[in-house]
Amino acid sequence: MNRLLKGIDAIRYLTLVASVSLLAACAHTVSVDGEFPAPVGSPHPLTVGVYLSDDFRQFTYSENRDDRDEWNINTGRAQKNLFETVLGSMFKETVNLAQYPTNLPQGLDLVIVPEVRELQFTMPRETRVNIFEVWIKYDMHAYNQQGESVAEWVITAYGKTPTAFLKSQEAALAQAINVALRDAGATLYTGFERVPELQAFIANKQRALSMKQTGDNQ
Amino acid sequence: MKFLSAFFSVSVLALLSSGCTTVVIDEYRRSTGELALGDSVVILGRRHSSDYETEPDLIDCVGKTLHNPKSGVTVIPERQFVDAMYPWFEPRTAPMHIKSLDKLMDIPDVRDRMEKYGVKYIVWIDGSTETTSSAGSIGCSIGTAGAGCFGFGTWDKESDYEASVWDFRDQELSGKISADAQGTSYMPAIVVPIPLIARVQNNACKGMAAQLQEFLLPPQSASR
Repeated sequence: MNRLLKGIDAIRYLTLVASVSLLAACAHTVSVDGEFPAPVGSPHPLTVGVYLSDDFRQFTYSENRDDRDEWNINTGRAQKNLFETVLGSMFKETVNLAQYPTNLPQGLDLVIVPEVRELQFTMPRETRVNIFEVWIKYDMHAYNQQGESVAEWVITAYGKTPTAFLKSQEAALAQAINVALRDAGATLYTGFERVPELQAFIANKQRALSMKQTGDNQ
Repeated sequence: MKFLSAFFSVSVLALLSSGCTTVVIDEYRRSTGELALGDSVVILGRRHSSDYETEPDLIDCVGKTLHNPKSGVTVIPERQFVDAMYPWFEPRTAPMHIKSLDKLMDIPDVRDRMEKYGVKYIVWIDGSTETTSSAGSIGCSIGTAGAGCFGFGTWDKESDYEASVWDFRDQELSGKISADAQGTSYMPAIVVPIPLIARVQNNACKGMAAQLQEFLLPPQSASR
């Protein structure tokens, strides 16, 4: 009897080990760690604070659906690098803020706070095209020194990688995310001045600066 | 020992032999090459299409084959150029027509950097290599007496690329070069699979690079 119980225990243990191994085999982890180049162009004449929250810096997209394997995709570090690099080159002066909205340094024209709204991806077997595709959507917020909203806009980014280029699904997806992040940086940089509220804000600032310069010259 | 020597012979045979490829290069020229000393060429892949992407390794291959400072062709690697000009040559922001270069040159920092690189020509390559059909099957088995594969497999590949040559300084289209390559690869397996691979993309690359060299250099330099 004792031997039978031991046998059942052993079978249970083996079943558990097999189940855990199978589950682990279906879980994919991707950690994206990209470096991005600084944009080429003239900076806007603004002093801007940039607040990247802990959620943003450590952002991990997790998905566990019945029709897909489990995916955990960490884009936090890469998107922190991207936003710090791009926003750091976009303005006359950029201050990285450790906290918001408290303890703001004086003299900021704007505070920019990005948030991840959505991340989606498709695999080649789902689309029947030999391409991994990624979409990322960011909600962008710009506040003035008093914490009032100046502008809100959305950045959508797209990246793809053909399957033939890479060895594993994880590597292909990481590559597609890096392409999407580069696209997000490009849209952030080229689209900033197209947001009507920001366009007006920059024009006001430029007017104020030129009036000050005229006053100084006189 | 006999088996090993047979295996090596087959491997060497496989390395030496390859499938056949045909490459057709067409050229449409609007002006003669004017590449001078100190000028450089940028070769970039188009990546805006939703269902294919010009392969970075093809762009790399054309660039490396064409790059020959002694004969007067200096090529800036794609990645280096795209990073240096970020974000103006990304898939979504890259100029699609030569006229769009005007707008880009209105940005002083971009113009300065292009001049610093000495860019004379921008070559945009658009296209891809695809497997168009495949047939046959190979079966492998392992037994107490040994292992082996038997069967026959074949597949066709097709490359279709078009290179648009932009004269950056004169802001005009200098011409176009197209490369169409086709090839069939075979894999007979008698105990050991013997791949006879048609290097379709590589031959398209070599053909395009040779034609580009002739295209970009002034007539007397090209014949050197």
